[in-house]
Amino acid sequence: METVKINQLHMDDLPWIIEYDESKCIQCGKCSAVCSFGAIKPEIEKRKNPSSNLAKPSYSKVLVIKQQISFQHHCRGCGMCSRVCPNGAIKAVRNINDRYSVRYRAAKADSLKKGGRSNLNTEGRTLDKIKIGRISQMTDPSLDAARHEFELRTPFGRILSADKLGFQLNNDNIELSKQLPPNRWIYPIIMGDMSIGAISWRMWEAMAIATAYLNEVMGLPVRMCTGEGGIPVRLLKSRYLKYMILQIASGHFGWNRIIQSMPEMTEDPAGILIKIGQGAKPGDGGLLMASKVARYVQEIRGVPRADLLSPPTHQGLYSIEESVQKMFLSMNAAFNFRAPVAIKVAASVTSVSVYNNLLRDPYNIVGGFFLDGLAGGTGAAHEISLDHTGHPITSKLRDCYLAAVHQGRQGEIPLFAGGGLGQTGSFAADAFKLICLGANGVFTGRLLLEIAGCVGNDVGKCNACNTGLCPAGIASQDLCLTKRLDIDVAAQNIVNYFIATHMELKKLMGPIGNSTLPVGRSDALITVDKNISERLGIQYAC
Amino acid sequence: MCRIGAIKSKKYLHPSIALKLMRSQQKGHDNSGFAFVMQDLGGIWSAYKDLPILSMAATVEGTRKAEDILHDLGFTRVLQWAPDINNQKGLKIEPMPNYIFETFQYPKSHKYATKEEKEELLVDTALLLRKELEKNNLGYMYSFWPDVLTLKEIGSPKDIGTYFGLWEENEDLCAKIITAQCRQNTNYDIVRYAAHPFFLDGYTVLANGENTFFEKNRDYQQSLYKGYIGFESDSQCFLYTLHYINKILKWPLKYYKHTITPLSYEEIEKRPDKEILLRIKASLSHLEINGPNTILSVLPSGELMCVCDAKKLRPVVIGRTEDTVIMTSEVTGINDVLGNRDVSLDIYPNEHETVIVGNDLTVERWKQ
Amino acid sequence: MKKDKVIIKTLVDNNRMSTQELLQLITSKIDDGYTDFEIDACGQHNIGGSSWAKNRNEILSFKIKNPGQRVGAMALSGTKIIVEGSAPADVGWLNSGAEIIVKGDCGDTAAHCAAGGKIYVDGRVGTRSGALMKHDPKFENPEFWVLKNTGSFAFEFMGGGIAVVCGYDCGDLNSVLGSRSCVGMVGGTIYVRGPIDNISDCVQVINLDDSDIKFLKEGLNIFLSKIDKIDLFEELAEFTDWKKIIPLPSEIKEKKISVAEFRKNNWVEDGIFGDFVHDDFIVYPMPATSDGRVHIPKWNNENCIDCKLCLNNCPQNAIFQKDKNYISDDNKCIGCGICEAVCPKSCWIMYSNRRELT
Repeated sequence: METVKINQLHMDDLPWIIEYDESKCIQCGKCSAVCSFGAIKPEIEKRKNPSSNLAKPSYSKVLVIKQQISFQHHCRGCGMCSRVCPNGAIKAVRNINDRYSVRYRAAKADSLKKGGRSNLNTEGRTLDKIKIGRISQMTDPSLDAARHEFELRTPFGRILSADKLGFQLNNDNIELSKQLPPNRWIYPIIMGDMSIGAISWRMWEAMAIATAYLNEVMGLPVRMCTGEGGIPVRLLKSRYLKYMILQIASGHFGWNRIIQSMPEMTEDPAGILIKIGQGAKPGDGGLLMASKVARYVQEIRGVPRADLLSPPTHQGLYSIEESVQKMFLSMNAAFNFRAPVAIKVAASVTSVSVYNNLLRDPYNIVGGFFLDGLAGGTGAAHEISLDHTGHPITSKLRDCYLAAVHQGRQGEIPLFAGGGLGQTGSFAADAFKLICLGANGVFTGRLLLEIAGCVGNDVGKCNACNTGLCPAGIASQDLCLTKRLDIDVAAQNIVNYFIATHMELKKLMGPIGNSTLPVGRSDALITVDKNISERLGIQYAC
Repeated sequence: MCRIGAIKSKKYLHPSIALKLMRSQQKGHDNSGFAFVMQDLGGIWSAYKDLPILSMAATVEGTRKAEDILHDLGFTRVLQWAPDINNQKGLKIEPMPNYIFETFQYPKSHKYATKEEKEELLVDTALLLRKELEKNNLGYMYSFWPDVLTLKEIGSPKDIGTYFGLWEENEDLCAKIITAQCRQNTNYDIVRYAAHPFFLDGYTVLANGENTFFEKNRDYQQSLYKGYIGFESDSQCFLYTLHYINKILKWPLKYYKHTITPLSYEEIEKRPDKEILLRIKASLSHLEINGPNTILSVLPSGELMCVCDAKKLRPVVIGRTEDTVIMTSEVTGINDVLGNRDVSLDIYPNEHETVIVGNDLTVERWKQ
Repeated sequence: MKKDKVIIKTLVDNNRMSTQELLQLITSKIDDGYTDFEIDACGQHNIGGSSWAKNRNEILSFKIKNPGQRVGAMALSGTKIIVEGSAPADVGWLNSGAEIIVKGDCGDTAAHCAAGGKIYVDGRVGTRSGALMKHDPKFENPEFWVLKNTGSFAFEFMGGGIAVVCGYDCGDLNSVLGSRSCVGMVGGTIYVRGPIDNISDCVQVINLDDSDIKFLKEGLNIFLSKIDKIDLFEELAEFTDWKKIIPLPSEIKEKKISVAEFRKNNWVEDGIFGDFVHDDFIVYPMPATSDGRVHIPKWNNENCIDCKLCLNNCPQNAIFQKDKNYISDDNKCIGCGICEAVCPKSCWIMYSNRRELT
């Protein structure tokens, strides 16, 4: 007799249960064919014929679709089965009795990993409690978003205060008297910051194409950050390099190729981003599971197929002074002080001290401060980091801005904020509110994947980026999955989303009567939450 | 919408011209106050052009307090003037007990001081007076500067004129430069300090329209210079930025427009001076204005300047004759006081220019 | 009907008549049957607007000195206004039929929303003039004639009517329409003589045709005689100096290449990963056959009892028999695993098809 034991993994332990209606099923096999996780399979079920009696039973065999019960092949709720089923006979349903995270740790003696974003959402979204409440009407005419001229550009690079520009007077003109830190005027939304390897080559290239298209066809000076997984040499040598912000993180992956390509570069990169930390897993380094280390990833990164862990800190950096010297100076020197060098840190209680230190750096070589909040996404992280470490972006961005205001140095190191923007579908609003609170711009990664076709969400759907089995071909290096992604459609969708966002930003600038970015214009904001009002210094409204 | 005016003439003019200039421009709110600054003074003041005049409105205690402070600092009074008050019944005015217009000799310690040292002393003294008067609500310190006289009051401009006897020609009180506004800031509480024109360290500014980047401007200006205080009106920011650009940074005036309404990146990219303009745009982005404004100013040299916001959402017109130039919000005012001018010489400044009226009344238009 | 002229002085000593007092005085005089007004104004607003003669067939005429804003605003047909000199903002705002002659300059937003009548300006007009002019087909096309130039942002959102900017005596102006004019213009016509710079890209600037010239010839004659400058006709009637501005039809407004075309034509040839992966950029549907399968079946003949269950249950008809072997056609098989499920002897085993692109 077949029996079960209590410690055996059971369907009831899993986060998703497959609901299957045999009466609708035509046994076409599409659902099992598309399931990249192997979480469903056709199986023969043995059934007793009702007409036979128990003393001498007769059985029939029925072909059904069965959910697989295993740690490796469990359903992630991606819903591909229901997408392909012609009859709506199958779907994944959230299991409210889910005990997977307990069972996994108990069985594997390993911490649980996943991709996507934190699923806890215990802190709520501050940005959704803020509204743009100061609408120009009588005293200051609103602008027409569709027809007036707006300028959506922000400086990127170290900005010196006016008295330190070293301007010289020549008759009635000012002239430069010294080389000043490089400045670029870029669109206030930076995309990417996702590594080759973490996402498929098609997804990565789609972002790069979208960036080039937005610049060259749409005239929007959008920049893309490469992430820390290296950069294809063909891109390094192309004219499109000027739209790319090259990232260096603790793993330094791919930098040997960047260095070797330098003599053949025809353009300077848009900038360099030194990644110190990431909002989704602060204090933890990058993580690329071996299943995604495809041969080309090995080559670009210069490593074998293995789980690739970037160290949590840059080896050899033990103080801010040292990091300024080693990283900032070296990265500035690499492009002969022509490309802005910025830093990305995870938002943290300590962010203001870091920012203050950089503001006071006597060499003026820190050209941007990227602050990544805890709602940021990741290709792979330990659940414990994802759900329990980090700092919300909004108040920390505000703290940094006000720290600069306190010193009269706002704008000197442009602030860029990210982490979970657009989570509730209102990316332009999120960006706009953060700009009013003091950001020069924002950055986004995970949202781009959703635009391209990612089916995951922040309440446990899919989030399997770490497995390399991404059903949308986005966070996978497998041929059969990656080729599900249409590079042109993905790139077009990103472009379209930016065009829509551009229009929506103008729809927010118009009513407050501004044709340029309202950086630090927190008087335009109100909040329905008293604590937020007090913490951020914006007007309370009810 | 505030109506503002600036008059510069080769002749000495009486403040009644400012009342007449503003009269036809009255709008619904334009009866809430009247304020003017007179510069390049004639009459009894012409003998003391280099000595600072204290313009103040205060209580009896405030007057005493101010005099004590000046005395302690070593200033000695050389001239005292008070308007003839006509306190007839029914005037719409909320007067202060005392109006002080007194000229002082510099302290002995500054006998051989440089121009810069003297200016520094005057700014410090003005700030100190203001601070002490504010403490117990003792009054208002408007200006303390050579050859500059300020009066601000709440009420009907016509009645304020009557109260101070400004309608009558008075040889004691005349000037070659007069700037005026006939309205209080009606957005918020009526405060005398919120009335234009504003004066600091030799610069006079008056403006109309709301400064939508007020908070950004103020946040940045607060730590730039000791004299950037008050902020009772969002228009004070225009004065402080002008002062910062021209006096502190010592940049030529044309860069004022490039600071408050910088050209777009695309436009700058086409220019030979793009390196400079982009640096200004980046470094002083918090001094940008983005609202609907016309800004009129009197520079320390005595020249007038007019700039508009980049969307040109406020009116302004400049009319002139051989001996007088007037910048004001609406042509009706100029029609009233310079009725016989050649109107084809009128100038309607656009969103990309700075108009300068020189001391010989030549008018220059600089394209941004 | 009273034929004598009503003369109103609005400033006596230092007492200025308010706008409300003046307008009510005018109304009461009109009610008394007066139609002819001469007003010595002091900046009072809305003079000549929204009024009509008691006898609707009579002409209501105003001769005004130094009016304030909105002279002739909301004026009706049958009203004739002459302003002796310049006027501030909003001349002829919402003009619905009046003839307004300004013998001087106009401030900002002259002819704003004008939908009828004719406005003749012997000088310049300010920023945003002609904005939102319209044409109601049941009424005459509004006309707006300007001898000299306009300020910036003129004719924004214009929807109808005719504007004529003669560019007379404009010296070294680099644009007689200022900067950024015609933004959002969807209808109407602007005739302009002289240089134009930085105009909105939603309009086209074209040459005049014969009917345009005919209109201008007739119109200039009337305009110049209204402003007593008929001697300028010769100079202005040199029609090669003129252009016509009309909205760009929406169908020819910028057509951008698609991202797919951009990738094929502009992007790095063979893609930026072309060194590593030879991607054909084909997109696999779900489910897919061949290389697009996530799982692939393999047959092992050892235990086969030739029951044909696999062959009969394969939803894609991918399995066929050749000699004693069962073969799955890669071009039909989607990798569903039904063959594996139904085989009583486990001859079909599903394997992962995960592999990299090289």
